[in-house]
Amino acid sequence: MKIESINIGPLTGNAPLGSAKKPSASFGDILKDSIQKVTDLEKDANLQTEKLTRMENQDIHNTMISIEKADLSYHLMMQVRNKIISAYEEVMRMQV
Amino acid sequence: MGILNILRVGASALNAQRLRMETIATNIANVQSTKTDDGGPYVKKETTFVPTDLSDSKVFSSMLSEKVEGVKVGEIRNSDKPFEKVYDPGHPDADGEGYVTYPNVNLLSEMADMMVATRAYEANVNVVNTTKEMYLKALDIGK
Repeated sequence: MKIESINIGPLTGNAPLGSAKKPSASFGDILKDSIQKVTDLEKDANLQTEKLTRMENQDIHNTMISIEKADLSYHLMMQVRNKIISAYEEVMRMQV
Repeated sequence: MGILNILRVGASALNAQRLRMETIATNIANVQSTKTDDGGPYVKKETTFVPTDLSDSKVFSSMLSEKVEGVKVGEIRNSDKPFEKVYDPGHPDADGEGYVTYPNVNLLSEMADMMVATRAYEANVNVVNTTKEMYLKALDIGK
C-alpha cells in the first residue's frame, strides 16, 4: 500500500499565495476606485449642465438624470465615509 | 439590474416620449400645410416604439443575463390615412375642380396623442423619482 504524503500547501506567509494569484486590490484601492467613479459621474453632470446652458443639448431630462446619478452616488460615498469614520473611532476608543 | 440602470431605462423612455412629442408638434404645426416640396399636402407622421438593449456591450456580464432593456423610437413613418378634400375654388392650391387637399392630420386625435405623451413622460419621471427615493431609503438602513 502506497502512502502518499499529505500536501497541505503553502501555509507560511502570504507570499506564495500572493504570487500565484493575481494580486487582489486592497481596501484602499477599492475605495479610491469608487471615489473616482463618483467623480466621473459628477464630471458628467457638470458637462451635461454646461451643454444645456450653451443650448447644445436640448434634452433637459438627460441633464437632470445625470445630476441625480451624481447626487445618489455622492450620498452613497458619504454613507461609506461615515461608516469608515465611525469604525475608526470605535477602534480608537478601544481600551488597551 | 443596478439602480443606475433603472435611471438609464427611465432616460431612454423620456427620450422616446420627447421624440414622439416632436412629431406631434410637427403634425399640429402642419395641420393646414396644403403644399410641400414633394408636391402633395403634408403627410401625418407617426412614431412606433421598440425595446432596445441599453447595456454596455463590452461588459461580459451584460451579455449573459443583465440585459438593460429600454425603449427607443423604432421609426417615424408617414401615415396612410386618407386626405381630406375641401371645396375652396379661391385657394391657391385648389385643383382643377376647385378642391383643396388638406393634410390627413386630425387635430383632435393629435391633442389626445399629446396628452398620452405628456402622461407617459410624467409616468417615467415618477419612475426616476421613485427609484431615487428607494436608493436614498436604502442608504438609511442602519442609521
